[in-house]
Amino acid sequence: MKLKKAVITAAGKGQEQIPLQTLINRQGEPCSALSVQLAELSGTGIEQVAIVISSEADESLYRSAAGAASVELEFIQQPADLIGFGHAILCARSFTKDEPFLLMVGDHIYVSDDETRTCAAQLVEVAQQKECTVSAVQPTHESQLAQFGTIGGQLVAGQNGLYEVTRVKEKPTPTYAEQELLVPGQRVAYYLCFFGMHVITPVVMDELARSAKASPGQPIGLSPALDTCIELGKYLAVQLEGRRFNLEQRYGLLKAQVATALHGPHRDELLTEIIDLLAPLRA
Amino acid sequence: MASAFVETIISPDREVQNRSLESLCEDLDLEGLLNECVALDVFRRETENLYYRVRALFFLYAIHRFHLPTRLENQAPGHIPPAGQEHFLNRRFHEAIEAFQTAAESELTDTICSALAAGYYQLGLQFLANQVRHSVRSVRGNQWMFRSGRAIDHPLHFRKELLEKKEGLYPVLREETAVRMDLTHSSWSDIFFLGMDYPEGAKVINVSIDLAVRGRDEAPKPPIEIYLRVIDEPVIQLVSVDLGAISRIERLEEVFNFAKDYNGLLKSALIAAGIVPIGLEGSPSELSELLLKLVGPGRGFELVSSVNNIPKGSRLAVSTNLLAGLISVCMRATGQSDALTGGLAESERRVAAARAILGEWLGGSGGGWQDSGGIWPGIKSITGAEAGPEDPEYSISRGRLMPSHKLIDNEEVTTETRQKLQESLVLVHGGMAQNVGPILEMVTEKYLLRNAKEWSGRHESLEMFNEILNALRAGDIQQLGQLTTKHFFGPLQTIIPWCTTYYTERLIESVRSEFGDKFWGFWMLGGMSGGGMGFIVDPSIKDLARNRIQSILSETKSKLEKALPFAMEPVVYDFAINENGTFATLLEGSDAMLAPGYYPLVWPALLRMDLREIEPTKRAELGLFQARLNDELKYQEAGKTLFGNLFPQASSEQKEDEDLDSLLRENGFDREQHEGIRDQLAKGMIGMAMNRLPANSRIEDVEPSDVIDAQKLATDSDRQAGAAAIANGEVAVVSLAAGAGSRWTLGAGVVKAINPFAQFDGRHRSFLEIHLAKSNLTGEQHGTPPAHVFTTSYLTHEPIASFLDFEDNYGFEGPLHLSRGKSIGLRMIPMERDLRFAWEELSHQVLDERAQKMRESLHAALIEWAKSTGEGGDYRDNLALQCLHPVGHWYEIPNLLLNGTLLQLLKARPNLRTLLMHNIDTLGACVDPAYLGLHRRTGAAITFEVIARRVEDAGGGLARVDGRPRLVEGLAMPREEDELKLSYYNTLTNWIEIDALLSVFGLSRDDLDDLTKVGAAIRSYALQMPTYITIKDVKKRWGHGQEDIFPVSQFEKLWGDMSAVPDLQAAFFVVPRQRGQQLKDPAQLDGWLRDGSRDHVASLCKWG
Repeated sequence: MKLKKAVITAAGKGQEQIPLQTLINRQGEPCSALSVQLAELSGTGIEQVAIVISSEADESLYRSAAGAASVELEFIQQPADLIGFGHAILCARSFTKDEPFLLMVGDHIYVSDDETRTCAAQLVEVAQQKECTVSAVQPTHESQLAQFGTIGGQLVAGQNGLYEVTRVKEKPTPTYAEQELLVPGQRVAYYLCFFGMHVITPVVMDELARSAKASPGQPIGLSPALDTCIELGKYLAVQLEGRRFNLEQRYGLLKAQVATALHGPHRDELLTEIIDLLAPLRA
Repeated sequence: MASAFVETIISPDREVQNRSLESLCEDLDLEGLLNECVALDVFRRETENLYYRVRALFFLYAIHRFHLPTRLENQAPGHIPPAGQEHFLNRRFHEAIEAFQTAAESELTDTICSALAAGYYQLGLQFLANQVRHSVRSVRGNQWMFRSGRAIDHPLHFRKELLEKKEGLYPVLREETAVRMDLTHSSWSDIFFLGMDYPEGAKVINVSIDLAVRGRDEAPKPPIEIYLRVIDEPVIQLVSVDLGAISRIERLEEVFNFAKDYNGLLKSALIAAGIVPIGLEGSPSELSELLLKLVGPGRGFELVSSVNNIPKGSRLAVSTNLLAGLISVCMRATGQSDALTGGLAESERRVAAARAILGEWLGGSGGGWQDSGGIWPGIKSITGAEAGPEDPEYSISRGRLMPSHKLIDNEEVTTETRQKLQESLVLVHGGMAQNVGPILEMVTEKYLLRNAKEWSGRHESLEMFNEILNALRAGDIQQLGQLTTKHFFGPLQTIIPWCTTYYTERLIESVRSEFGDKFWGFWMLGGMSGGGMGFIVDPSIKDLARNRIQSILSETKSKLEKALPFAMEPVVYDFAINENGTFATLLEGSDAMLAPGYYPLVWPALLRMDLREIEPTKRAELGLFQARLNDELKYQEAGKTLFGNLFPQASSEQKEDEDLDSLLRENGFDREQHEGIRDQLAKGMIGMAMNRLPANSRIEDVEPSDVIDAQKLATDSDRQAGAAAIANGEVAVVSLAAGAGSRWTLGAGVVKAINPFAQFDGRHRSFLEIHLAKSNLTGEQHGTPPAHVFTTSYLTHEPIASFLDFEDNYGFEGPLHLSRGKSIGLRMIPMERDLRFAWEELSHQVLDERAQKMRESLHAALIEWAKSTGEGGDYRDNLALQCLHPVGHWYEIPNLLLNGTLLQLLKARPNLRTLLMHNIDTLGACVDPAYLGLHRRTGAAITFEVIARRVEDAGGGLARVDGRPRLVEGLAMPREEDELKLSYYNTLTNWIEIDALLSVFGLSRDDLDDLTKVGAAIRSYALQMPTYITIKDVKKRWGHGQEDIFPVSQFEKLWGDMSAVPDLQAAFFVVPRQRGQQLKDPAQLDGWLRDGSRDHVASLCKWG
């Protein structure tokens, strides 16, 4: 499997400004969230990236936020009448054509624990090895289930952190999760939730198109399409060496910023600052 | 040598496994049986298998309860070690057994056998209950709720459809749920324990039905309606329309306080549905944090239930299906089911059913596993299921907690058959609402012991399941009727004889004689008959049958209402099979209304506000309500009630007060004495703590020389002397029947004496009839029947008189008198300190975890009730008869003097010298000539009969108090543990020498016609007798079969204290248990039957 393309979705209602947020990157330099995401692609072999933005968004702002990217950028506007995450992905079909591609959500920042590879690079490596749809997942406490797509599955024998997916459910309740989404080996109350990063094959795009046709005017989701595709071909999930941070959550940006900085050369400086912050002003 | 008992438990061979305990014990002597006990005890400690362990424990229980006592040659009384007793009361049954075993090693006595039996029994039940609890918690989908410890981590939120207002109103989610009936009855095989051990034997045919109360409702509809909506206040409001209860919850801990008000079921549904996860119990989280996650800032929600006034105790599992419906609507609202509206998917129904079990456990109650069947559609078979590797029960029990449901479609049982069933079955509520808990425990015990008769009954019942299903498949309703009747009179009564009642038998007899061949059969619903029942008739007489059966029910009930605990007027239902199961609808905009009955309940407070202060959503709803007043009948009715509630008219309370006052006047109420007692109670001069003898009293067990072993020491010449005295008319029997028998019917105000509780010689007989039958036999054996007196009171006199009249004294040929009490008390609202003393300082059996929490919550609520109603005040808020109390059995003998009964007796039988007085429930007491002769030989003025104590005999006994033998009431024990020192328990049966007694009162026979002198003598003597303050339970009935139990204070003087009178020479006979045992609680009946006591009583009787 050759992966040359990536799609970043940033068209969600209320998400428009997230890629434009300013962060301090690992090196301690100010940059946009979008540029951090594009930097995530280093080492993946991705050459072309499509960014799906809302129909009302100003493309030039995003282009400016992207900075001097090392990949070829294309901006796709999601029509106002086609709502939902599934439609956002489907909008990029003219860009992805019949090729597999890396999908990232625009409201997440990833911090890799592997010094040599970004999270995206880890995922792409697995997908290229296994030649199938692969979703990155992260063990997540059940209290957070309402924010994520979640998988159920079995460990692939002899492959640490790799799972064969048997069920996908978008934002499940813990009731459902406990019945259908338990994965052997996980801690009690933890489930494998999406990391915001997938390698999508054309079969998934076909299923999204079928869903869109079947329910015109309705929002469509990626998780139901992935769930349907379980029957249609191999579908794996992988737990990466790294963590995701959802910028939309309360203090999400702050957590992402701290995590990024702690992985950079200014770690000690930041820790000192944090301790200073925690200490009482008066002894 | 291998133990045959252990082999029976572990054998893979079903035939060996099903050997009965009786057959195993049959040929063993004491030593052999004790060896088997050792083997079983080792086995139950070592085995990993839950059911092996439980069966071994039940074997040990039954051996100690029924088999060892009969083999003990040395019947010397023993003592219960205090440490063991304390462990036992605190549910540390294992430790209690260890302590009892240590005591048994030094000497095995009847007393210690009874303690061991109780310990093994409770430990067995505890293991079973723990397993159910474990399973309920471990069912997938329920586990997360136990580990959610912070509200801010709450993973659920309401669906957005419920959060968006339309036309100014939040949408209402309405859930309609059926109730269920069980066509096969199932022989109680839906008990969790049974299904988990014997899944192949657990099967029912369960039908979801809609109901209408005949004559009241138009047409059958789902009886359960639940409404859920978001509100613009950060609170949870729970409303039960039928119970008239509104709970406004502002703090999280209130959700876990089930007994605080009548909305406990709604609260447990919130918890079981995960809306308020059980892990939050005791958490410092705030309700506002939880609501923020669930419905967003500034919002809360309202949950309203209505069961269309279906009476309680219908045996149609109304409360379980209400719980399941409540859980369903909560699951839908929070996205735990895919469908917001319509039916539920099978997997969702299973979650709802599992959570209904959880909810019942939370509330400290529990039904069977088929009870939530109303959320499934139509007819289904529900069967026990083997536990698989995925189930939490796997490798612990053979079956799993949750059964399998299979819908029976229209091909298997046709639409025509369903229609025929509706045409033929007359479904009724007979009016009785009894606690079936003891019956379910009996079923479990009998199943585990595999007693031959009951075990074959269970097999017969299983075969009949198939026959009933085949009759349904064939559409043969007449055959179905025959089978359900055969089932009721055959296997069901073989397994549990107590499932039928005198009332049921009379109903069946009447319906059969009225309709002849057109009466096709009887069918019992639920745990026992008397409440929900069915009569299957030829459809050609459908309407006639429904009308006549209603009349038969009412007539029979009115004849028996003083003898049996009825909770309500009987009703006949119209019903239809519900093919939807639980079903939800989203009501939006102008349809977003709640149950009509909600408005009269909740709105009066709202309407008293300034209109401008009413928030816009409420104003919009008010407008909708007004619009419906013109064209919808149910809203018109609600409007009338609302108007009535806004401007309440004078209630009937005034009339009730008048009734009470006239009753007090008629029954010799001594207002001066009452006010004195009330004053002393309020000042703390008397009370529960003051009942006790002085703390420095020395309480010791009696010496062997203080008692007379009557059975051993009575000689032939005593017997001859006694027989001669009987023949000479020297003896009369006094049966005490003035009391209410609170424990027998939990304060229902039924006359225990005439309660037909057990079958003898082919029919149900009452205590009264049994006592007369004994006197009949005495008369036959000795030529002269003893005169027989029943003491009565305001509560019992009329019913006893009319029963005796109707039954022609049950054929008793001797002189029969009713001695009506002329002393009465008015109950009082208890003092907080007395309630706390009774509940917190005295020892009690601690209950299972949830039941104990429920009890503590209830106690807190009742203490609040006493404080807010007025501690120490008169108790008047009930039926007049329920506000009065008899003033203790001390007055019963003096009453004979006061009301002239003794004078009459003496005139008719001048030779009369001795009275045999006994409690109404001491069925073994009789005029035994040997005992009479022995009593005379001792020269005692009064001889009390005592029995060797068993663990269940609580409440005082025979003691040496400061060196002098006397009877001491449990209330008077200076220290509770003193009671454990006592070898003997008071039966209250006593032989009284009339002349000696008169002399103590300062009277003689000649004075008896001078009532002034008699009155003065007795009043003066009464002052010397101790007065005890007691707390009794009294039922208050309301609504449709609802009952509340309130604690009330009353005072008593007790006859046992006559044993301490210095001038009256007292003797104490030790008598066999079968003679002295009292039946205080219906739960004792099965043991009484099985240990041979019933047969012993039968041998003393000659039926008239």
